[in-house]
Amino acid sequence: MADYDRRQGGGSSYNNSKKRRYNNRDDDDYDRRGPRRRYDAPPPHVRIRKQLLSIAENPMRPWHEEIQSIASLFTENWEDELLRTNFVELILQLAIEQPLKTPFLAAVVLVANTNKPEIVDILLGKLTADLESKIRQGDWRDVKLYLKLLACLHNCLDGEGVFPVLEELFSRAVDLQTASSEDTIGTELVKIILLTLPYIMVAAPNQWQQRAADLMEKTEIIASEPHALQALIEPYHPESSEENQSPSMSTIGLLQSQLQAEANNGWALPCLPRPWDFPANGTEEPPKLSGAAKHALRPITVPQIVVAGPRPLFPEIYFSVYPVQDVESVPSTATAAASLIRDALLDTINILHYNRNITARFLIEVDCYFAPRTFAARATPFDRLRDIEPPKSTWKPEDVAVDAVFSQLFQLPNPEHKLVYYHSVLTEACKLAPAAIAPSLGRAIRYLYRNIHRLDIELGNRFVDWFAHHLSNFGFTWKWTEWVEDVDSSNLHPRKAFITGAIDKEIRLSFAQRIKNTLPEPYKILIGPEQEKDVPDFKFANDQTPFATEGREIAALLKRKAPDEEIQPIIERIHALAIDNNLDPLVASTDVFVTAVLHVGSKSLSHVLAAIERTKDRLTDAGAASDAARSQIINAVMAYWSAQPGVAISIVEKLLNYSILVPSVVINWALVSYAGATRGEALAKAHVYEMVFHTVMKVTGRVRQLVQKSTEADAMVDNETRDVEVGNMRGLFKAMEDALTAWANGSKDEMLDTDGDGNSESEKLVCRWGERWLRVFRRRAAIEEAFLLEATKKATKAAAAADSAPALPGAVATEDAAIDIE
Amino acid sequence: MRGLRSTVERLDRPSAYFSNRNKRRRPDKDQRDGDEDTNMQPEPPADDPLKDATTLYVGNLSFYTTEEQVYELFSKCGEIKRLVMGLDRFNKTPCGFCFVEYYTHQDALDCMKYIGGTKLDERIIRTDLDPGFEEGRQYGRGKSGGQVRDEYREDYDEGRGGLGRAIQQAERLREAERPDGREADYGRLR
Repeated sequence: MADYDRRQGGGSSYNNSKKRRYNNRDDDDYDRRGPRRRYDAPPPHVRIRKQLLSIAENPMRPWHEEIQSIASLFTENWEDELLRTNFVELILQLAIEQPLKTPFLAAVVLVANTNKPEIVDILLGKLTADLESKIRQGDWRDVKLYLKLLACLHNCLDGEGVFPVLEELFSRAVDLQTASSEDTIGTELVKIILLTLPYIMVAAPNQWQQRAADLMEKTEIIASEPHALQALIEPYHPESSEENQSPSMSTIGLLQSQLQAEANNGWALPCLPRPWDFPANGTEEPPKLSGAAKHALRPITVPQIVVAGPRPLFPEIYFSVYPVQDVESVPSTATAAASLIRDALLDTINILHYNRNITARFLIEVDCYFAPRTFAARATPFDRLRDIEPPKSTWKPEDVAVDAVFSQLFQLPNPEHKLVYYHSVLTEACKLAPAAIAPSLGRAIRYLYRNIHRLDIELGNRFVDWFAHHLSNFGFTWKWTEWVEDVDSSNLHPRKAFITGAIDKEIRLSFAQRIKNTLPEPYKILIGPEQEKDVPDFKFANDQTPFATEGREIAALLKRKAPDEEIQPIIERIHALAIDNNLDPLVASTDVFVTAVLHVGSKSLSHVLAAIERTKDRLTDAGAASDAARSQIINAVMAYWSAQPGVAISIVEKLLNYSILVPSVVINWALVSYAGATRGEALAKAHVYEMVFHTVMKVTGRVRQLVQKSTEADAMVDNETRDVEVGNMRGLFKAMEDALTAWANGSKDEMLDTDGDGNSESEKLVCRWGERWLRVFRRRAAIEEAFLLEATKKATKAAAAADSAPALPGAVATEDAAIDIE
Repeated sequence: MRGLRSTVERLDRPSAYFSNRNKRRRPDKDQRDGDEDTNMQPEPPADDPLKDATTLYVGNLSFYTTEEQVYELFSKCGEIKRLVMGLDRFNKTPCGFCFVEYYTHQDALDCMKYIGGTKLDERIIRTDLDPGFEEGRQYGRGKSGGQVRDEYREDYDEGRGGLGRAIQQAERLREAERPDGREADYGRLR
């Protein structure tokens, strides 16, 4: 490994690298000619690092062999101090960076303990200190992972082991939950407790049933009570006619009931690996783990006030894209395996965001890290699962892995990392093992497609975005034929909306002709000739268009970068003409001018940005002149680029940056003008949602930034600016609420004056779109309000702390923003 | 420091290109075009010019990939502040690279992690942290006006104008000398 190259010479790293390179070259020559040179084995600390890093990765190598060999390499070189410290550090680092390997690391430590019990004391010393600091910082995932390591080491712990810490954490959870029903730290603590228990039960079987039962009796109340925020983050939004569908289960509620079932079944937990169980009939004498030294775990200090830490906490919902199938290809939610495997995979995925290739490899090799026979053989086709005889597992490792990634992609309000990370993990997994992963993805896609009508719209759009991006990495191949019957349905139909949205996104990543070639015949009408043009038609090129001459003249002036004074006379001419024709003069001139700017910049985004930059004073003035004129700016942009909405959205985004447009105009255009003009069909268009969503995120992002800055000690932002922006944001959400409620209730004028009976199929569909939009933005509004509330609390706390004694070290108030986006 | 080194390699580190270029300048050889993924530096030094980098160099684009396509993909990591397409020095057409500037360093790092090495326009693209765009850098530095890597490239790459340009030119010259010189052994031209 590269490791070794770097540390050649046992740490004397100041070798002349150039010289060494030449030496190596000489060696190569020598090797080729004569017998092999004496091979210098890497020093033990290097070998042990290498072996620990790759522990359990090779399915062909029996666990016990590997574990024993690492443990003996370690104890044989006990005198090497570098090796000792490296060993301890690496175990702790692996436990929080590659948590699937934790049980195997623990087994190495347990075996080493039979020979050099001192190692456990050294390890525990460092581990407890690290654990306490993670608890203080509120780094709850790392806390959970350290506790998992401790749980796996339970057999060599004296007295009650980790139970006192768990009890301590529980009492904090109770305090927090009693104080507020919206608390999320308490539920997180309960989740950690519940996820630690199973590892204790397999590491030290038949010893702790009573303690576990006592603890679970206490967690019951918190875990099984649906969280106050849970309704907000529910991934499905069923139609009122199917209201009786049971809502999704929260992660901890599910875990509580699964573990209860496990307790009733003697904690069998068949999926968890037990690498510390050595086969009795092996050739080597198995290590005597039971007689080995026990070590006291010193009490862990948990501060009275615990903080939420760097990551926002939210209740979590168990999401699966393979829920109801005739054969169970993923663990059913009735078994603890569902939660335990999911938890370990989610940690792996979210921790290793800095190397998606490694993440993908872990996902594909998930079966290496759980008990043998937990899964069916890799790459078993779904249809063949039926042939598997009952006691054997039908769980498809690929399905389990893919399911875990989708649960993040579809997590509300946001997963830990940017969505594109999860896209990239699926892409890499599919590249590494296409034959195994691609069919699982296909089944996930079909499930989501079938359920798209009840999926939250935010998630529906994430699905469109992922789908198109994924296909762009694999030659845009998809079996479109199976959805052919939906092509002719109304544009208001959720499935049709998915199809058009996905095709638009594919085109944006590629080009129309290319995508058209990947589609079956019936789909081709969805891509019109105007979408295949690189540059849209300039409407003023046609003399039939009102103001055609003026439009062409302005375009010509803009093209030769004429000074603004030359443009003004033409604008005035348009005003005069418009008044003669009973048109709004400002709207008319704005339309001509903006369209001309777009036309001049039609070659690329750089061109249009340069054109906007040059004319931004006039554009700003036009927007400021009247509401109608301002609305016309966005109208002109959306009209000119109607065949390529992606470009339109980018331009609107830049116009917002220049403050030529303001967020309320964009929202009003989408939810009132355009939605009205299309009788609600706009609400079914993915790009309209995308534009509105981006605009809202821009506003909320800015408010968050301001609030964050205003709470900092050297506040660079005055409270007035902040309050104005907060007010604007609330106003925006209010406006959306009003507009969308009207659509959801069917009380929109444009819906009323249709000649139907007010109950037609399309009207129902429009109402449904309204409801679903409403839900998304009510959630966004609620999240922002929660953020503001938390920020106010924090500010008051900080002010109080500043007034009284200097804050204690550890009582860090800066990190407990409960909710944060990106 | 050992303790800080991650147990798996990170994808958001700059490639060897930047550090090599700073060590030893070789104006005749553009190493940007080399495939040097051998970065092993444990931690960048404190005065690392890339520590706040918000710009990425993006390579191996097709000549036909448009700004809009780049926007569509790269916006997935954050709003793009500026995009500069790489152009052929002589005829000002895209020549297969660009600079993407984000508003934050984190967005640039995320882009390294999530977009570098994935496909755009059906080509695997390459991203590298960059200290920032300067006027003049948008042009190819090869003799023919494009990127140096497209001069002597021996594989036929439709998205990047077929064979290497120098090779094409040499072939054209030879074809002019021998009208029947179809069997040109371009492999020997190195």
